[in-house]
Amino acid sequence: MKKLKLTDIAANENTPLTELNIDELIPLPPPYDRAGDLPGFRQLTEDQRQRLVCNLDGVVSYAGLPKPENEAEKKKYIEQFLGGLKKLLDKENNWTFLQPLILSLDYCAQCQTCNDACPVYLASGRNDLYRPTYRSEIFRRLIDKYGKTGGKLRARLTGKDIRLNWATITRLYELSYRCNLCRRCAQACPMGVDNALITRELRKLFSQELGWAPKELHEKGTVLQLEVGSPTGLNPRVAIDNLEFLDEEFSEATGIDVKTVWDKQGADVLLIHSAGDIISFPESPISFTILCNAAGINWTLSSEIGGYDGVNYGLFYDDVQLARVAIRHAEIARKLGVKKIVMGECGHQHKAFITVADRVLTGDLNIPRESVMTFLENLVFSGKIEFDPSKNDFPVTLHDPCNVVRNLGIVEPQRRILRYLCPQFREMTPSGVDNYCCGGGGGLSVMSDVNFTDWKVNVSGRMKFKQVLEAFADVPGPEVNKYVCAPCLNCKLQFRDIFEHYGAKERSGIICGGLAELIVNAMVDIKTPFIKWFDD
Amino acid sequence: MFWHGFIIGSIVVFILILAYRIIRIASLPVHLRWELAPIPHERDRSKYGGSYLEVYEWWQKPRKKSLTAVIKYMAVEILLLRAIWKYNRALWPLSLTFHAGIYLVILAILLSIIHALVSIGGATSELLLDIAWIIAITGYVLGGLGVVGLILKRISNEGLRPFSSFTTYFNLFFLGAVFLTGYMSWMKAENLAADMSLIIKQTLTLDNAINISYPLSLHIGLSLVFLIYLPMTNMIHFIAKYFTYHEIRWDDEPQDAKMTVKILGLMKQPVGWASSHIKTEEKKNWADTSSGHEKT
Repeated sequence: MKKLKLTDIAANENTPLTELNIDELIPLPPPYDRAGDLPGFRQLTEDQRQRLVCNLDGVVSYAGLPKPENEAEKKKYIEQFLGGLKKLLDKENNWTFLQPLILSLDYCAQCQTCNDACPVYLASGRNDLYRPTYRSEIFRRLIDKYGKTGGKLRARLTGKDIRLNWATITRLYELSYRCNLCRRCAQACPMGVDNALITRELRKLFSQELGWAPKELHEKGTVLQLEVGSPTGLNPRVAIDNLEFLDEEFSEATGIDVKTVWDKQGADVLLIHSAGDIISFPESPISFTILCNAAGINWTLSSEIGGYDGVNYGLFYDDVQLARVAIRHAEIARKLGVKKIVMGECGHQHKAFITVADRVLTGDLNIPRESVMTFLENLVFSGKIEFDPSKNDFPVTLHDPCNVVRNLGIVEPQRRILRYLCPQFREMTPSGVDNYCCGGGGGLSVMSDVNFTDWKVNVSGRMKFKQVLEAFADVPGPEVNKYVCAPCLNCKLQFRDIFEHYGAKERSGIICGGLAELIVNAMVDIKTPFIKWFDD
Repeated sequence: MFWHGFIIGSIVVFILILAYRIIRIASLPVHLRWELAPIPHERDRSKYGGSYLEVYEWWQKPRKKSLTAVIKYMAVEILLLRAIWKYNRALWPLSLTFHAGIYLVILAILLSIIHALVSIGGATSELLLDIAWIIAITGYVLGGLGVVGLILKRISNEGLRPFSSFTTYFNLFFLGAVFLTGYMSWMKAENLAADMSLIIKQTLTLDNAINISYPLSLHIGLSLVFLIYLPMTNMIHFIAKYFTYHEIRWDDEPQDAKMTVKILGLMKQPVGWASSHIKTEEKKNWADTSSGHEKT
């Protein structure tokens, strides 16, 4: 594997810095241990190489990155980058994260302790490009050089000079989307430096100043959510229709009356799902309907634009979009007059809405917000619903969504449920606040431009897939059905891609689903199995 | 009076620059919440990284916080370098040796200061000086070994080498010189702690009889220059760490009335970002920009 220098970032603007080789990645347990048996990376075609900016690692996450035709155009983007860089250091434009950013930039001791905490770096076979410190140190040196008085001279004198050119900014852009923002590196740092935060600030600079952001996060993400109602494209009418259809279908399948409640004024609970669940994992929202109705909870969904989709992709790349989505959610709850808002099974919704936006929502917008984990725990142990844990007598392991567990410290409620309802529950190693990201964190799970999915399933999701296989090492074959409980839509989407890529359903009998489905599956009143194994 | 001016001046400059940098960090605006588990002040939950958000309807329940747990956590982190032990075991012996050297030299100086203050009152303590004498040599040796080890590690390790700049090595060599001259002074003096205590006493009492001979003069001179240099570098991470831990990682306070006032003030500031989904013809503030939605 080619060793990289920090200064390489500015060299040879049309040549990738590194080429990914599947043989150099960390090995997976059998039967996935022979690289030759696995689908590899989709290589870019000659046409794509000509058309797209692909100068990082042979992977392209955003086909929309402009390709300037002349030096003047390149210079324009470089000037914009410099303008954004200065705004990041400005109290007005970046009050939101200025203190954490400055501390992370100024006090890194370069001990590299964070590197081995990073699942991407480890999975890549320790490729220099994916060190959490590689992009951070380059960005740090650029800020020192261009954002501080006397920086250019100091950069030369201290040997920290990084050239700022077209190669540098485009590679930094792509590299900022090779991080899951899981903050495992931040946890490991003795100084409290947060490389994930630096990465997010870099993304923010590109989005808020140059207008560069993955289309799945911005154009078809937050913009669509604020205009139409959801990044899925579901408008309110279609969302209601879909759930009404699902209500009927599941009423028939389960034999109990499934009825989703919409726009109930003065309800105790406003539940905000991820709308992606309605489309990709419909058992999830239906499970909540069944559980809330069975427990007699006074609850509702909202059909306002944005109110039926709790995702907030702004958390991954843009403070303004983050605030807009959070305020929209809070305004909807205020209008309905609910007592509290409960997050759906969505990790970044938890972090964005419960904590990060806590300092954006003022006055009557600051409505109490609760995690789905405590909500479900209270419901399960309330005694209002009768359970039979033997209905869940199959191997179950729990994936800890980083934004719920490492970032919010919500660790035990979901475990208490699983220990009670799943006789064969087993932990992954490591787990809890030390968990590995699914590989789809930081918005990556919904990004699929060009050949980016190949990178997600092969590199960023590799450690997690390895962990899952190791958790089920006592029952490796497909004859035993196994369940990965991932109480987060983005994590589930990433698991779906990983399992499809490796054929994990067929070869190992593993499926992935949420927490609420396991609870419903254990209900005495549900006569037929709620969890469907392999479309049976 | 050269030494008086040099010693007192250096300490004053150190304090002023350090205070300036602390005030600069502390006066930065309130940021959005960005906590990270585990948070040790969570009395019943910090063992596994849990937080108060694990409590059903947490906003209606009292919070149980533990200052003792925070102090214990930080003591282990500062004295035994917990994070490096946990995540970078290969570096830990060198880093611990290096930091232990610094801590012991500081402790020896503190004991010498205490003895100087006591002796101004007419008393003296051979025992205190002997303890300081032993601590000082232990500090110089450990610090020196730590410096050599860290320099060799940075040169030989493929992961560390590309990130080690001229400044990194300069700082290590500078500290190495302080430890080395300290060691030389200790070897030459009958009791270095006694000499140091006398110099401190003469400085505090502005006694003109102050006379510092080589190599102690070199050691003190280098140490004072280092003291002035220190707050201008990222070696003041011992200060930054307070903020990164207490003000960011462990800042999990929900919004209260005082915080609301601060946020409302910040939301009145103009937004100058240029991207089309933010920029408008009429410059807006954060409150207006966040509540609306500009089409791209």
